[in-house]
This record gives sequence, C-alpha cells and structure tokens, in this order.
Amino acid sequence: MSSIDNSSPEIHVHNPKNKIKESTGYKVFTVFNTIIMILVSFATLYPFLYLVSQSFSSEQAIIAGHTSLIPEGFNINTYIYVITRYDCEFLKYYLNTIIYTVVGTVLSLLFSSVLAYPLSKPKLRINKFLSPFIIFTMYFGGGLIANYVLILKLGLKNSMWGFILPMLISTYYVILMRSFFMSIPKDLEEAGEIDGLNKFGVFWNIAIPLSKPIIATMTLFYAVMYWNNWFNAKLYLQDKAKWPVAYFLQTIIRGAGASDPDATQMSANIKSCAMVLTVLPIICVYPVIQKYYVQGMMLGGVKE
Amino acid sequence: MKTTKLAKVTCVGLAISMLSTLAACNGAGGESSEVTTIPSQIETTTAQTEEDLPYDYGYGVTFHADEPVTYTMFFSDASWYPMVDTWKTEGVFKQIQDRTNVTLDIKSYDSGDYMENITLDINAGNAAYIIPKIYDDSAFVDGGAIVPISDYVQYMPYFTEFYNTYNLSGDIQTITRSNGKYYKLPGMKEANLINYSFVIRKDIWDAAGVDVVELEKTWNWADMLEALKKVKAYMVAQGMCAEGDYIWSDLWCGNESGQGSGGNLLGIIAATYDCNAGWNMGNGMRYNVDQDKFIFSPTTDNYKAFLLTANSFIESGILDPETFTQDDATATSQYYNGKTAIMSINQGQYANYEENMTAQLGAGNYENYVLTIPVGSTNNSTVSPERLENGVMISQKALDELGEDGFLELIRFVDWLFYSHEAYDLTKWGVEGEHYTVDADGNKKLVDGFCCGGLGYGNDEAGSMTDIRLQWGYAGGNFWYGGTVAEMSDNLIPPVADYVARDTAYRDVPPLAPGIAPTEDQNEEINLIATPLISNVNTWTLKFVTGQEDINAKWDEYVKSCEDLNVQGLVDIYAQLYK
Repeated sequence: MSSIDNSSPEIHVHNPKNKIKESTGYKVFTVFNTIIMILVSFATLYPFLYLVSQSFSSEQAIIAGHTSLIPEGFNINTYIYVITRYDCEFLKYYLNTIIYTVVGTVLSLLFSSVLAYPLSKPKLRINKFLSPFIIFTMYFGGGLIANYVLILKLGLKNSMWGFILPMLISTYYVILMRSFFMSIPKDLEEAGEIDGLNKFGVFWNIAIPLSKPIIATMTLFYAVMYWNNWFNAKLYLQDKAKWPVAYFLQTIIRGAGASDPDATQMSANIKSCAMVLTVLPIICVYPVIQKYYVQGMMLGGVKE
Repeated sequence: MKTTKLAKVTCVGLAISMLSTLAACNGAGGESSEVTTIPSQIETTTAQTEEDLPYDYGYGVTFHADEPVTYTMFFSDASWYPMVDTWKTEGVFKQIQDRTNVTLDIKSYDSGDYMENITLDINAGNAAYIIPKIYDDSAFVDGGAIVPISDYVQYMPYFTEFYNTYNLSGDIQTITRSNGKYYKLPGMKEANLINYSFVIRKDIWDAAGVDVVELEKTWNWADMLEALKKVKAYMVAQGMCAEGDYIWSDLWCGNESGQGSGGNLLGIIAATYDCNAGWNMGNGMRYNVDQDKFIFSPTTDNYKAFLLTANSFIESGILDPETFTQDDATATSQYYNGKTAIMSINQGQYANYEENMTAQLGAGNYENYVLTIPVGSTNNSTVSPERLENGVMISQKALDELGEDGFLELIRFVDWLFYSHEAYDLTKWGVEGEHYTVDADGNKKLVDGFCCGGLGYGNDEAGSMTDIRLQWGYAGGNFWYGGTVAEMSDNLIPPVADYVARDTAYRDVPPLAPGIAPTEDQNEEINLIATPLISNVNTWTLKFVTGQEDINAKWDEYVKSCEDLNVQGLVDIYAQLYK
C-alpha cells in the first residue's frame, strides 16, 4: 500500500501583499514609461488648456502675448459676446447641431440596423448580389460634383436633409453591426419563430434587444460624426440660418487666418471662445463614454 | 467562346471610346498660342434694337429698369463682417434696388469656401448670372459656362470710358486668352498705389539719430541696415533690449501666412531687385525689359544680390530668423510692446496698429512712420505694374435664359454697378448725407456716430458707433474694385496717404510685362515644371536667407538643382509664347 501523503495541499490565497518581486529593469521601465506618458498627456492637453486660458483672457493680454495656462485679465465678456452677437446666432447654430445630431443619429441607427440585419444572414441569397454593391461604396465614391448635382436635383440643397441624408448610412458601421448580428445564436431566433414571430418580429424583439452594446456604440459613433461634420454644411447649406455650429466655427477660424488684412481684426479670444463652446459637450461626455469607443471597435470586429 | 467574343467586342468598344476621348482632348487643347492684340480704344456701340429700351442707361446716367428685374448673384460672405438681413432690407442691396429697380438675388457662400462652392455650382449648371470676386478665371473659361465678355464690352459705357481714358489695353491683354477673348470684367485702376511697406517706431529712430525722412528718399538696403544698427545700439544703451535681441520680428512671413516662401518680406526685397520671391514668386518667370524676354528670375545675379541683402539683416543680428516660421501674433505683440522697432504694414492695418499700441504703450508714448521702401538694383516701386483687380464674370446661363436683349440689359446694369462713380460711392461709403458727407474740396468723411472697419474708421472705446459695413454691407469686398486714384485714395488716413504720396514721388513705376496667353496644355506643362521647381527655390531661399547655407559657396549648387528641375523647359515655353 502506498503511503498517503497527509500533508495538507498548498493553498494559494490571493494576498495583495504577496506581490511578485519586480525586477530593477521593470521598475526603471515603469518609471520611464510613466514620465513619458505624463509628458505625452501634457503635450496633448496643453493646446486645449491654452485655448481655454486664452478664451478667458482679456484681448489686450492676448495681443501683448501674455497668455499662458493661467488667464490674464480674467473675464467672461468674450463668451457673452460670442453667444449674444447677431441675435444670438451662435445659439441658433448650436440648436441646429443638436437637431441634426439627434435626428440624424436616430435615423442612421434605424437604417443601418435594418440594412445590417439581413446582411448578417448568410443563407439569404440576395446578399451575394447586394453585399458587393454595399462594400463598393467604401472604396469608390461618385465624386464631389456628381454628389452635388444629385443633392441639387433632388431639391435637398439648403434643407436639413441635404446635411443628414448623405451621411445616413456609413458602410463601415453597417459592417460592424452585421458582424455583431451574426454572433447572435440562431437558436434564439428560431425559438422566436416557433413562438409565432415573423422575420421583423424576430429582428425587433430578439435581435435588437440583444444588440444593445453595438447600438450604444453606434449611437456614439453616429452622434460624434453628426456633431463634428461641417463639410456637408459647406456644400449643401447655403442658408446661414441652417448652419451647424461646426461649420460656423470653421468659418471663424479660417476667417481669422485669411489673407485679407481686415480678417485679423477677429480677435484670438473670440476664436478660442467659439472653439471651447463647440467642443464642450464632446469634452464633457467623452470621459464617460470613451470605453464604448474602444469596445465598439472590438464589438463585431471578430466573427465567432 | 461567347465570353471571348463578348470580351473582344468590349475591348474594341473601349478602345474606340478612349480614342474618341483622346481626339476630343486634343481638340480642346489644340488652341493656337499666337499672341492676340486687343484694341487700344473701344468704340461704344448700341445694339440694333436700341429704340424704346425698357431701361435707362448711359455714361453719367443711373441705370434704371422700367419694370422690376431680378438677377442672381454669387456673393463672397466674409465671416468677420457677415451678411445680415439689414443689408437687404435697408442696406446696400436695398439702395441698389431703389436706384435701379433691380433686385439682386444673392447666393452667398462663406469667403473661405467661395471659390470651391461657386466652382461646384458652375460645373453643376447652377451658376448665378453675376459672379463677382474672381481672381483667376482659368478654371472656368474652357467649360463654356462663362460668357466671353470681351464680345460685349462695347455695350458698356462706363467700362469703355475708363478703359479708353486710362489706356488699359496693355493691362487687359494680360488676362486675354489665346482665342483673343477675355472672360472677366476686371476691376481697373488709374494707377497702382503702394500697399505693403514697413512701419517704424519713429520716436526711437529719431532718438537714435537717424533722420529717416531725409534718408529714405534715395536710400538702399545697406543704408537701411546701417540705420537699424544705430537704432539697435541706442535701444541696447537705453536698456530697451539686450545685445542678443532682435529689433525686427516680422509678420506675414511665417509658415502660415508666408506659405513657406518667406511671404511678404522676401517678396518686397526681391521686387526691388527685379526678381520674384515670397508671395510674388508665382512660377518664377519675370519679364526683363533690357533683354525683351521672360527669364527665370530665381537663378539670376539679381536674385543672388537679393539673397545677400536679406541675409545681411539676419547676419547683423537685426532680423529675427524665426520670422520665417513664427505666427503673425508673435511679431505684432513684440512691436506693440516696443520690443522691436520695425515691422511690415499695409494700408488697412495702420489704424489697427495704432489702436493696439495705444492700449499697450499709452497714447503719445510712441510715434509710427511708414517707410518708403529702399531701392535694390532698380529705383522701381514695389507696386504691381498691372492695373487690374479681381473681377466679375457673367454666366452663359444668363445669356441663355435672358436672351440677347435681356442679356444686354443685365450687362449694362453690371456696368453701372461695378464701373460707375455713383455705384462706387454708394457701395463704398453708403448714402451721401446719411452716412457720409463731402466737403468743398471733395474730401469724404463719415457722419458722426458711424464707423467702418473697412474704411479705416475705428469705433470708439465704448463701441457705441454703428459700423456701416457690419450693419448695411457698405465697403465690402465684393463691390469695391479699382477706380481712379482719387477714388482709391478717398478713405486713406493722413499717414497712409502720406506714404502713398512719398512712394509715388521717390520711386518709379515698374514696367508692365507684355500679355501672354498660354493654352490649356501649356498651362498644364508650366505647372508641372513649376511646382517642384518653385518648391526647391523656396527651400534654398529660406536656407540662404536664414544663414543655414552660405550663399556664395552654395550658389552654383543651387542653380544646378534648378536646372535639373527643367528651368530651360519653362523658359522655352515662355519664349514660344512671347515671340
């Protein structure tokens, strides 16, 4: 009979104090890494902090070149001026942006998911015909003039739809959604069908509720895209009353850098104020939702 | 087998279509490059159906349509004085409507996107009738969307009067295409007035013992350098700066506004040496009067002399080499603070500089003075010899939709709007008696309570005055072109008028280069050669000027690098164009 080892087995209990001893090289690496990351963070943050400081500084301090990270001649007059000038035009542009972002994001989500879901069904024969057409648009476009004539002939120029419709469906996002839909177990959908749901019912009652992560991510992606877009406004929104704030900001910045000598009269703090106000919502929201950004790139990126 | 046949048929079809395209391209580009001449005087003619016209027109007559008319017009909207509703309800557009019975249907685009957007509209068949603010019309003339306006100028009394009075045929020749026609109505000037120069702290210069008023009459760049050395020595002695500081840090030369070419400063210095550089580089080709031909100026001895001159200011510790990389605001803040004693200026900036310096240094604690630019190898002024400004195009759509008679009515309205003294005063100054007054000597002045950034009339400290440009659209950039010397000078403030007068008195007018008309193909060839060539020239130029390369030691290497980039090809094309 073999002897039995009665000694108690070694039990590993996690104890924060029981750390693996770090080598000197690793410690040095960590220190250097931290220093470098702090420097990189500072270099990234500095322009923005400078901008904020400038927006609160007096015009004379800016002209004198006294602006630093701490505002000189602190005041909020420029903010008041930017917001209230020309019958509060800035707020009107802001409101336009909010409308475009909300309407555009909702519609984009709707149309993208409705397109992505059937594409996720490999057995659907028409996909073999449709998919290449959809993928094709990722690599080739009709060109600026062709798109412009299309919007013109459709009577969409100078309307909100001229801004929203060209961005309604992003092929890349559709492909991400399609990959996510493909990962939903077939059994669940078949169970839904057995329980009497039609195809749309399965999509709406089973696929969509299971796809909250990708929908959250797409919401974010589309919302940021609509918020930041100024190019469509430049092409299709001639009427200033319909401009989004991003395009207004674009004109201010470019105006201040124009070769026309009078353009330099637009002072630097007006420029910085407008920039701060425009990016403020994104700055506020981004720290909260940035994890979705990272996750979003992974979600649907891998097909199981 | 079927597939093979189909493939063959497809290939043949494609080949035929490609050959057709090539043939068509050849046809389009196969214009003659002969030099055409336009008339030295234009005789005003009347259309065959002139009787009982539904409008009044004529030289000295206000255009007025019997029935209300609406014309579409593109408009370049500047973000620093954006168009507002009051421009249409009571401002410049309303005033035009009241006088002429013409309503302008404005299609405005932000000035930064203006050319891109109107190009799209024109190419998409959505052009407005009147297309103002056009600097280069070459992108439009070949498409057939623009009317060759030279066919119609004889119907425009104000245009022809100005053209004939001031002999502008040579100038117009410079915008004439190879088919002998021109496509834009340019802003025309009786003469060019100096715009860019240098402003100095005259109080410091005087204290340093430099009598600049006397010196500048005939001074050259070496004299200016010596004067600046004296000024610096004085500033160092007074503790205003250290020995290692620079007293000249310039704007409009950095990466952004200087466009990597040295911008305004190098353009000015080079012009005095009969060369192209900085903002005025273009493709480097310049007409040489003595040789009566076009030469590539960046490889001439004059260019070398210009480089040595520009470099001498940096070598002497006067000019900050960071001038060519810094932001404009860095230069202006140093001048406003009194850290530097000289900086570039143009007509529109004088009042702005004074306003900022008063805020920084206090009124009475400084004195500005705009210099007459030193001479280089010639005594020529740095003004452009070409007396044309940006201009107006008329779309083919207008001719198609309005018919010949309606089109003549349109261009006679355009003639009044852009070339009559009445419209000039209206669009620049507003309504006489309401916004401005004219004294017995003909001097114009804004009525109390009004200001205008575009005319150099600043607001008061409380900002209580009404800016006639912001409020009603007067003195905007879409209408305000050329004119007589009196018209162009009527808003110059005394110090600016003084330096304009000194430049005219002390310097010669540079000769006008003869007009040449490259074809579309030649233009493309010129651009293909010039793009890398000028990039190379600019890179070397900045290295030479800032002292990174020795001019004398590396000059031959530089010239060789230009030759390797086919300078001769460029010269040959110009020789062919100007036989």
